[in-house]
Amino acid sequence: MLQCIFLLSDSGEVMLEKQLTGHRVDRSICGWFWDQSISQGDSFKQLPVIASPTHYLFQVFREGITFLACTQVEMPPLMAIEFLCRVADVLNDYLGGLNEDLIKDNFIIVYELLDEMIDNGFPLTTELNILQEMIAPPNIVSKVLSVVTGTSSNVSDTLPGATSSCVPWRTADTKYAQNEVYVDLVEEMDATINRDGALMKCEVYGEVQVNSHITGLPDLTLSFTNPSILDQVRFHPCVRFRPWESHQILSFVPPDGQFKLMSYRVRKLKSTPIYVKPQLTSDGGTCRLNVMVGSRNDHGKTIDSVTVQFQLPSCILSADLTSNHGTVNILADKTCTWNIGRIPKDKAPSMSGTMVLETGLERLHVFPTFRVGFKMMGVALSGLQIDKLDLKTVPYRFYKGFRAVTRAGEFEVRS
Amino acid sequence: MAPPPAHPQRSPSPSQPSGKSEVTDLRSQLRQLAGSRAPGADDAKRDLFKKVISNMTIGIDVSSLFGEMVMCSATSDIVLKKMCYLYVGNYAKVNPDLALLTINFLQRDCKDDDPMIRGLALRSLCSLRVANLVEYLVGPLGSGLKDNNSYVRTVAVIGVVKLYHISASTCLDADFPATLKHLMLNDPDTQVVANCLSALQEIWTLESTSSEEAAKERETLVSKPVIYYLLNRIKEFSEWAQCLVLELVAKYIPSDNSEIFDIMNLLEDRLQHANGAVVLATSKVFLHLTLSMADVHQQVYERIKAPLLTQVSAGSPEQSYAVLSHLHLLVMRAPYIFSSDYKHFYCQYNEPSYVKKLKLEMLTAVANESNTYDIVTELCEYAANVDIPIARESIRAVGKIALQQYDVNAIVDRLLQFLEMEKDYVTCEALVLVKDLLRKYPQWSQDCIAVVGNISSKNVQEPKAKAALIWMLGEYSQDMPDAPYVLESLVENWDEEHSAEVRLHLLTAVMKCFFKRAPETQKALGAGLAAGLADFHQDVHDRALFYYRLLQYKVSVAESVVNPPKQAVSVFADSQSSEIKDRIFDEFNSLSVIYQKPSYMFTDKEHRGTFEFSDELANLTINAEAGDSAVPAQRVEANDNDLLLSITEKEEGRDAASNGSAYSAPSYDGASATSAASQSLADLAFSSTSGSGQAPASSFAIDDLLGLDFSVGAAATPTPPPLSLNPKAVLDPGTFQQKWRQLPLSLSEDFSLSPQGVAALATSNALLRHMQSHSIHCIASGGQSPNFKFFFFAQKAESASIYLVELLINSSSAKSQIKIKADDQSTSQAFSTLFQSALSKFGTA
Repeated sequence: MLQCIFLLSDSGEVMLEKQLTGHRVDRSICGWFWDQSISQGDSFKQLPVIASPTHYLFQVFREGITFLACTQVEMPPLMAIEFLCRVADVLNDYLGGLNEDLIKDNFIIVYELLDEMIDNGFPLTTELNILQEMIAPPNIVSKVLSVVTGTSSNVSDTLPGATSSCVPWRTADTKYAQNEVYVDLVEEMDATINRDGALMKCEVYGEVQVNSHITGLPDLTLSFTNPSILDQVRFHPCVRFRPWESHQILSFVPPDGQFKLMSYRVRKLKSTPIYVKPQLTSDGGTCRLNVMVGSRNDHGKTIDSVTVQFQLPSCILSADLTSNHGTVNILADKTCTWNIGRIPKDKAPSMSGTMVLETGLERLHVFPTFRVGFKMMGVALSGLQIDKLDLKTVPYRFYKGFRAVTRAGEFEVRS
Repeated sequence: MAPPPAHPQRSPSPSQPSGKSEVTDLRSQLRQLAGSRAPGADDAKRDLFKKVISNMTIGIDVSSLFGEMVMCSATSDIVLKKMCYLYVGNYAKVNPDLALLTINFLQRDCKDDDPMIRGLALRSLCSLRVANLVEYLVGPLGSGLKDNNSYVRTVAVIGVVKLYHISASTCLDADFPATLKHLMLNDPDTQVVANCLSALQEIWTLESTSSEEAAKERETLVSKPVIYYLLNRIKEFSEWAQCLVLELVAKYIPSDNSEIFDIMNLLEDRLQHANGAVVLATSKVFLHLTLSMADVHQQVYERIKAPLLTQVSAGSPEQSYAVLSHLHLLVMRAPYIFSSDYKHFYCQYNEPSYVKKLKLEMLTAVANESNTYDIVTELCEYAANVDIPIARESIRAVGKIALQQYDVNAIVDRLLQFLEMEKDYVTCEALVLVKDLLRKYPQWSQDCIAVVGNISSKNVQEPKAKAALIWMLGEYSQDMPDAPYVLESLVENWDEEHSAEVRLHLLTAVMKCFFKRAPETQKALGAGLAAGLADFHQDVHDRALFYYRLLQYKVSVAESVVNPPKQAVSVFADSQSSEIKDRIFDEFNSLSVIYQKPSYMFTDKEHRGTFEFSDELANLTINAEAGDSAVPAQRVEANDNDLLLSITEKEEGRDAASNGSAYSAPSYDGASATSAASQSLADLAFSSTSGSGQAPASSFAIDDLLGLDFSVGAAATPTPPPLSLNPKAVLDPGTFQQKWRQLPLSLSEDFSLSPQGVAALATSNALLRHMQSHSIHCIASGGQSPNFKFFFFAQKAESASIYLVELLINSSSAKSQIKIKADDQSTSQAFSTLFQSALSKFGTA
C-alpha cells in the first residue's frame, strides 16, 4: 500500500502532495530524491524503483512530470507502477494533456481524482468512465455551460450508477437517439533491419479501439476472419473469456464511449511497406552518407508522413546533408531529421552528403541507427480483418463504422 | 537522510516564500465572507479556498487559518466542501482543539441525503486523525457500514482501518472487525468486499502480535471457504481488488491436486488481463501452487511465458522494467524456457537504459548452444552503439556468454574484433574479457596474444583494463616479443600511474617476465622493485619488499611462489547462491525481485518481524533509556535512522510503540512472519538442547574460561572477584523481555574487536556457539553487515542471579558496545570482564 503520492515538476518542485495514510511522509523525501537524481545522472533518474533511506520510491516519468509514490511496506512493485501509469493516463485524459501549467491550474481536480482513485493507500478505481461520472472533466463545454447556467460545480450531484451496477464499467441507463458503434484497428509496426538489410524482426502491435453509443445494456459480438494470426492478446475487463477460448469471438458488454477493447501482437511478418537503405563510407577523416527511401507498393495505399531520424555520432564535427525530396534538419543535439512526407510516385527520395570527423579519426566506428516514421490510412498491415459485428439482446438498428490505420512504431534501420 | 523534522508543517523550507502577508490577507478576506449569505458569496469563497489550498500545496504553512476556514465551511456547495475537507484533513493533526469545531459539520454531512456527500464527509472525518476525537467516529462509522449505498460502505470500511490506527482499542471495542468480516462475506458490492479484505488483513496482522485470537482470525482469511468465496467472485472485482485477492490466494495451501487444478482453471483467463499487476499476481499463484508438482510446474512456466512477454513489449518502460526483473528471476530458475524467444530481448534504440541493461542480462541468461551465434551477433551491434554505457554492458555480456562455454570459437573472434575497433572504451572492456577468457581457456592464448600484442599500452587508460593488459604481458611474456620492453616503459612511468591495482600488477608482471626472459627484463625489474619500495602505497611497498627478499633468498623459490604452474579456472564464483535465488523466488511479485535480493538483505531486522520479540526489544531500549539519560537514547535513535525503514514519526513511535513498530513491511506478510517465527523457535530449541546436552563439554569450557579470566583480569583490573556461570542456564524470551524492561542499566562499555573475531562473524551462528561454550547464551540476534546486534543472557552458578547483555557490533570499524543489566548489580563489572574476555577469544580458537 502506498503512503503518499507526490507530483514533481521538471525542476524538482513539489506541485502536489497527497498523503494517503496516517503515517505522514515528509516532503524532504522529494528533496532527497531530487538530489539523487541530479547527482546520479539520467540513468538513475529513470530507474522506476528506488530505495531511499526511509522509504521505497516508485516513480513514473511522463512529459516532464515525475509521479512519485512512497511506501514503507512491501508491496507488488508492478502494482504501484501500473497505478502511477494509470494516474498519469487519467490526468492526461482529464486535462487534455500533461504539463506543469495544466496541473497547477487544475490542482483541485487532481486532488479530487486522487481522492476517488486511491484511499488508505489501496487503489479503488481507475476506470475513466466511472471517474468522469463522479468528477466532470474541466473541458470547454462545461466551462461554457457553467457561465450560461450559473452552476459552476464540476462535481456531479449524483453518484455514478456504475458503482451500483452489475457491470462495473457501465451505467445501467444510457440513452441515445442514434445508436452507433465505431471500431478502429490501430496498428504500429515494429521492425529492425540490420546492417546487411536483412529483416531481423518485424511485428505489429495493434489495438482494437471502440467508440460505442448504444442505449441500454447492449451485448456485442465481434469476430475476425483470420483470428489465428493473433499472438499475445490482452482484453478489456468487459470481454468474456470463454467464447474467445472456444471460437475466437469477442463477446462483450461495452463501456459507454471510447475504450480499448483489446490489444494484440502479430509476429514474424515477412515484409515492410517501406524500405530505407543507408550507406556510410568513411575514409581520410570524412564520411559519405547516402540514404534511399522507397515504397514496396504491395497494398496500393499511399504512405504518408514519412520521416527518417537519426543521431549523428558524437565524433562528427559537421555535416552537410541535402535531399532531393523533403527537408533535412540538424538540431543542436546532433539529431538529424529528414521529413519526406508522402513518397512520390515518380522518384525515390534520397538524402546524401558528407560529414567531417573529429581530427585524428580516420574512419567512423560508431554507426547511427535510423528511426523511420510513416503512416498508412485504411490498411492494417498485420492483415487482420474484421468479419462482423453483431448486437445481441437489444433489438435496435445501429450504425457500424470500421477504420484501420497503421503507423510506424519502433522501426529501426541499423547501419 | 537526516531525520525528518517532527512538525514539518511548522517549518516550511527556507527556499520557499513564507507568504506571511498573503496569509494575513487571506484571513481577513475569509472573515468577511464567513457569515455572508449574499448571492455569489460561494464563488468568492471558492476562489479564496482555492488560494488557500494552492498555498498549502506549494508548502506554505496556512494552518493558522484553520478557524476561519471552519467558519466558512457551512455551505451546500460540494466543491467548497471538498476543498474544505482537504484542508481540514491536512491540518487537523496540528490543531486538535480547533478540529473539534469541524466535527459538527462533518457529522451533519454524514447524514446528508446525497450518498456522495455522506461518503466524502465520512472519509474526511476518519482522516482527521486526532486521538481525542475518536468517540465522534464510532457512531457515523457504524451507520456508514450499514448504509444502503455501496459507495458509503466502501468509504466506511476504510474508515475502520483509519480508526484502528488512531485508537486500536476503540476500534476493537466497537467490534468493527466482526462487522467487516460479515460484510466481506455478504456484501453484494465487490469493492466493499475488497476493502473489507484489505482492512481485515491490516488489522488482524497488526493485532496478531499481541492476540492469539487475531492470529487465528488472520488464518481464517486463507481458509478454504473464504478463498473459494473470493475466487468465485473474482471477475466482479476491480483490477486492483483482483491483485489483492490473488495475493491472498498465493498464500493458500490447497488440500489436494484436484483443488490446485480447479483454482488454476478458474484463474487462467486472468493471464490475459490488460493490467500487468493482475497478470503477475496470477503468475505468482500458479507458480506457488505447483511447487510440489515438478512437471506441472514446468508447464506453468510455458503457460505464463507468453502473457509476461506481452507485458514486456506492451506497456510503458517502467512496466517493462518491473516485468523484466521477474522474467530474469524465472530464467535463472529455468533457462531453457525463453531460449527460443530470445528475440524479445533485443534492445530497441530509444528504450531507456535501465530496460536495455535488463534485456542484456536476459540475453546473457538465455544463451545456449543453438542461439549463441544470433545473440552474440546482436550484442556486437550494440557495441557500436552511441550509448556508451550500454556499449560497455553489451561487450561484458558477450564475455559472460563466452565464459558459459557455448561456441567459444566464434566469440573469441568477435572479442578480438573489438580490440581492433580503436574505441577506447571498447578496447578496455574487451581487454578485461580476454583476460578472463584466457584464465578459463588457455588454449586460445596464441590467437589472443597475437592481437593483444598490437595494442599500445598508451591507448589504455582505465585501471581495470590496464591491469588486465599488464597481467597478460607478464603471463605470456614468452610469446610476446616486446613484452619486456613494454613493461620497462611502464615501469619508467611509475610515478604517473595513479592506480595501486595497476602498480601491483606491474610488479608481478615484471617478476614473471624476469623468470622467463631474465637478461632482457633485469633492468626493468630493478627499476620496478626500487620504485615499488619507494611507493607510498602500503600494499605496493610491501609486495615490492616481499619480492625483493624472495629474490634475495633464492630465485627458484621466488619463481615457484610468484609464477607456479596454474590450472585453468573452470567455474568463476557465482555471485548469488542458489539458496538466495530460492528465497527471492518465494518473494515473487515483491520488491525483492527488483533488487535481486531477498527481503532480509535490504530490510532491517527490526522491521522484518521475523522475531517479533526482538522488534519489541528495540523499542524497549529506547523507552528504558529515555528515562535513564538523554544521551544514549539519542544515540539509539540516530542508530534507528540508519535503518532503511525506520518509522518517520518518532514521537508517534514512542507514544504507541507497538503500533509504530509493527507498521513494518514484513508483518503484513503473514506467511513470512509465521515461517520466520517457527524458524526462530527452531533456533531456540537448538540452543536449549545443546545447552543441556553438552554439559560435560561446557564444564570443561568453564575451567578454560576461569583460567583465562584470571590472566585477563590481571592485565586489566587489579583483582576481579572470580565469577562462574551456570552452563545450563535457561530463560524464556518472555521473561527476558520482562527483565530487560524492569532492570536498570548497570553497565555500558565500548571496546574493539580482534580482526579474527570480525572475520569469524561472517559465519552465521559462529558467535552464538562460541559464547555458548562460555556459558553465555544467545536469545536473539539480527542485523546485517556491518551492523550486528545480539542479546545474550547468563546465570551465575549456584544462584538465581541473571545477567542480560545487549551487544552491538560494527564489523567494518571492529567496534562493539555492550550493555549489561543484572539482578546482582555488584557483580556486573566482573561479568563484563568475563564477557569481554570470552568475546576476545572469538575467532582465535
